[in-house]
Amino acid sequence: MTASASRPDRFKVFRAELGRALVALAMALAVAFLIILGTSADPWQAFSTLVTSPLSSNRTIGLWVDDVAKLTLTGIAFSLVFQARQFALGVQGQVYLGGLCATLVAMSPIGTTFAAIPLAIIAAMIAGAAYGFIPGYAKARFGASEIVSSLMLNYIAILVVNYMVRAHLAPPNTGQLMTARFPETAVFPAIIPGTRFDLGIVIALVTVAIVWFALYRTAWGLKLRLVGHNPRFAEYAGIKANFIMVSAMTAAGAVGGLLGAVFVQGRAFGQLAIDFDGNLAFEGILVAIVARNRPLAVPFVALAYGYLRQGAQLMGFRSDVPSEMIAVVQALVILLVASSFTLPGRRFIARLLGRGEADPSTAAGGSR
Amino acid sequence: MIDLLLAVFSTTFLFTVIRTTTPLLLATLGGLLSDLGGALNVALEGMMLIAALTAVIVSVYAPWYVAVLSGLFAGALLGALMALFHLRFKADIILVGFAVNILAVGGTVFALAMATGGDKGTSINLPSKAIPAIHLPFLEAIPLVGPVLFQLFSGHSTLTWFAGFAVFGVWYVLYRTPYGLWLRGVGEYPTAPEAAGIPVNKVRLWSLIGSGAFAGLAGAQLAMFNYVGFTRDMTAGRGFIALGAVLLGARHPVGALLAALLFGFFEALAIVMPNHVRWMPGEMIQTIPFVVTVIALILFSYRSRRASQLKTLTRI
Amino acid sequence: MPPLLQAESITRIYPGGTVANDGVSLSVGAGEIHAVVGENGAGKSTLMKILFGLEQPDAGQLRLEGKPIAFANPREAIDAGIGMVFQHFSLVPSFTVYENVALGSEPRSGIRFDREKAIAQVRALSDQFKLRVDPLARVSNLPVGQQQRVEILKALYRDARILILDEPTAVLAPQEVEELFVAIRALVAQGRTVIFIAHKLPEVLAISDRITVMRAGRTVGEVATSEVTEKELATLMVGREVSLGVERSQSDGGRACEIDTVSIQSEAGVSLATDLSLNVYAGEVVGLVGVEGNGQAELLEAVAGLRSVTSGEIRLKGENIVPLGVLDRRGRGVASIPEDRLAEGLAPGATVAENLVATRLGDPRFVRRGVLDLKAIRANAIALIDRFSIRVGGPAFAVGTLSGGNMQKVVVARELAEQPELLLVNQPTRGVDLGATQFIWASITRARDAGAAVLLSSADLSELLALSDRLVVFYRGRIVAAFINSGDLSAETLGAFMLGLETQDETTMKAALR
Repeated sequence: MTASASRPDRFKVFRAELGRALVALAMALAVAFLIILGTSADPWQAFSTLVTSPLSSNRTIGLWVDDVAKLTLTGIAFSLVFQARQFALGVQGQVYLGGLCATLVAMSPIGTTFAAIPLAIIAAMIAGAAYGFIPGYAKARFGASEIVSSLMLNYIAILVVNYMVRAHLAPPNTGQLMTARFPETAVFPAIIPGTRFDLGIVIALVTVAIVWFALYRTAWGLKLRLVGHNPRFAEYAGIKANFIMVSAMTAAGAVGGLLGAVFVQGRAFGQLAIDFDGNLAFEGILVAIVARNRPLAVPFVALAYGYLRQGAQLMGFRSDVPSEMIAVVQALVILLVASSFTLPGRRFIARLLGRGEADPSTAAGGSR
Repeated sequence: MIDLLLAVFSTTFLFTVIRTTTPLLLATLGGLLSDLGGALNVALEGMMLIAALTAVIVSVYAPWYVAVLSGLFAGALLGALMALFHLRFKADIILVGFAVNILAVGGTVFALAMATGGDKGTSINLPSKAIPAIHLPFLEAIPLVGPVLFQLFSGHSTLTWFAGFAVFGVWYVLYRTPYGLWLRGVGEYPTAPEAAGIPVNKVRLWSLIGSGAFAGLAGAQLAMFNYVGFTRDMTAGRGFIALGAVLLGARHPVGALLAALLFGFFEALAIVMPNHVRWMPGEMIQTIPFVVTVIALILFSYRSRRASQLKTLTRI
Repeated sequence: MPPLLQAESITRIYPGGTVANDGVSLSVGAGEIHAVVGENGAGKSTLMKILFGLEQPDAGQLRLEGKPIAFANPREAIDAGIGMVFQHFSLVPSFTVYENVALGSEPRSGIRFDREKAIAQVRALSDQFKLRVDPLARVSNLPVGQQQRVEILKALYRDARILILDEPTAVLAPQEVEELFVAIRALVAQGRTVIFIAHKLPEVLAISDRITVMRAGRTVGEVATSEVTEKELATLMVGREVSLGVERSQSDGGRACEIDTVSIQSEAGVSLATDLSLNVYAGEVVGLVGVEGNGQAELLEAVAGLRSVTSGEIRLKGENIVPLGVLDRRGRGVASIPEDRLAEGLAPGATVAENLVATRLGDPRFVRRGVLDLKAIRANAIALIDRFSIRVGGPAFAVGTLSGGNMQKVVVARELAEQPELLLVNQPTRGVDLGATQFIWASITRARDAGAAVLLSSADLSELLALSDRLVVFYRGRIVAAFINSGDLSAETLGAFMLGLETQDETTMKAALR
């Protein structure tokens, strides 16, 4: 996805990647079907619920689109750090902290004014960015593994938010584990009235465009990708790899915080609850991997994956197969897409293009 | 506060530390094996979780030791799966590890629901077994220190004793047998063992299998001793804390033991604190192990970076 | 009696279509020192990898004592009594000497690694073959020459009857080469056979009994050493009379770069280089001579801005550039061709166009207010691809899909896209074939003739002697000698200074330091 227009093999690379994703999905669905076959009393009904239910009503379509927006944002956040070859996995923590800060704004006096939505979003993004900055700085300055520190920060954020909700933000003496609903001025307006089709999807698409522009049209993005491809080279070329690394994690943190705002201010919630992300924030890993960290591919992957996710949830309600079965599909898709299994004819295509001694590992496009 | 201090210096507290340390230590040893072999095993968490459920379900139908072994095998199998995708299909080991973790989070709930007939939370209605504790009544007979020793060391899980010996065992294998030499060589500079005719990928495969086996034992200990029965997400980040302990443990079994004890101490603290420190909310107390891990990681990484700088000093 | 080891009509074609060996034959008699010579890229290394089981021939037959044999992996070759010492050592740095030697064939008692026995065995072997090295020393603490001995011990420990040495002298100072030769003679005297790969002819003539010459993937001759002259060998090797000689520079420009009492410390505070002072003039090449690890590479890094300087100044056209970062130095005309160009000089997953501007992301022609000018970047790439005849489908191809030689060209093209004031070059031709060597040498001299001051570091003394106008010798982080490169300066002379065996008097040095 480089800028230069004349990339002779661009379409074929795209097709090969799409083919890989589809083959992986087909294999994973086949396995899902086998599991359903083995565990369900009425496997056909369960499987058809999985595959068709998201389209069954306007309400389910709304649920699906809402998930797509959120999956797109988390996928973008993971893509950003993965492109810099950092395994910062802190999106979940950023979502919680972002959600908390957005809530604090929404429940303050500002919440009833027209500034509620923009200010809450900004507060969430700042909180998320700060939370993304910590593991980045810890790595750049002290060499602390960003994998472990970002995961620990996730747990901490979830506990802090759950405490805040339980002890301070929920209506007193109700025993509820959620806040009261925000004033209507602080909740995203519906784009199609009466559905969950709200500002969230717009925010997600705008974020995709901005991150794509930042990665592929700015010097910062080029530096970030060069650091991701080869940090030694980046240093040699005069790029401050540490700065890029920390800024990538901070920017991804802002996107994570933004997702937190989209969560709590979206029409689906309009309030802050404990454990509100339903593990969705973490599933951005899958979206990013399948999209090969390309921002423009992320919404499409989110569309497909969100459909499957919604189908699984509905299957959990409407049949005897628990929705968690989808974990098997998730794991398989990651394993297959991350592997170097090749579709037949790929090498042949490469030879047709006269690439000479193409190293298969690098010819894959330097995905990460 | 004095109250808490007294509690911390009591033998019951130290007993709890040993108990909370056991699964962490087993998982850390597992992480150490794969780390030395050159692969950071981020799947310790998922391996523990899957092994915990496997052990619980098997223990309903079989003796406790069969259940523990089944947990071990579940972990080992996952290790082999990771090796397959990492070594054979060239997938990034960290992504493979997270595939295992994602499989574990949802897959255990799914399997639990299947096994219990719909309960997605706990295995409370499954009659699962526990690992027997080892009682050492003779310790009490020792004059003076006897009662203290008894309170500290009697009544621990069989796996606790195993874990203690495993520290020595892992050290012995790593530093006194050819296999340990191979493993360390493969992790540090694979070209050398390869040129010496050592099957590098086989060594890596076995290091991941061993890593999974230890994580599996950690899961069994968690669900068959520390708690009896399976609860959804019961590992609660212990696998990731163990990963931190691997990085903290200076790539040595004794370091792994010390790091696991450190985190075990704070986990035990989070367990006893609610009884003594009423002003601090439970959620905040629960964050302690995670906060400590981040801080320890930062401090230790800084120190080891300094140390590696000093090492170059002797080189020239 | 058949020869000990034979290779008959070996052919090896790499997946990309490169014919590395094309009907190669080799016949090595027991107890001889057999040299295999040829230019870089002639196919020597491939042949040796086949002999050692690292690669399998596509056609042809190996014979050991007349019997057909095939090696699926190094283990089988080792078991058959073949040992190999690679140019890049395969030693685990944190292991001790005895651990490295025994690795893979450890003496055991039960499941235990019998370390006492291993130490004793290593000690015995090292005495027997005059390969002095302390079995208990950590390999990372040993100098290169001793590491090489560890590699040889490794092969002997596995009872190698046939020892293959791949360019063993490339990393050694001339005096160390002499010690190596003593060991090789001891080996042969005790019944072992040595295959010696090289491309430096005087060494080959000094040590070998017989010589097989390879060129462009084929064997072009086998001769007894006593019956051949250096000139005849060279002609055989290259197939034509060549002189890789380089015209000395004619221009005599002003002082471009002054390195003024520069000291360099590692991050831990260990002194890596002390009080280095030297000047480089526009239009000349100054060669940095020294055994690796004596401060030459560190000086180049310090000038490039990759390493900080503890004291002293580096002035470019009179301006002290020490406070400046890498990018600012590059902006003032510093260019740098790193040693490991593929690992350090390229981002293989990024496109050719992106690699070609990676060092100039502060340049307003390519980046304005943080936004890339894709048209300019693309035009820049097309122009450079054309100027340096890089073979690639287009500027948008990933660098990782190019051949090794073309990747080298991308690095050189980027660094020389604009005429540099000061060009830093480290190990320009290590591990590259003849064509690439000529290309890089020509690029360096072209930059020099256009007025660049060049600082060149190389482990290959003949390369330094061929390219440099002046030579500066490093020993233990200090400049110990300096020479103006006249015709009578020999590698041996330099070697004596490189090893600290001789010292130069102040006035001679001052004169040559200009």
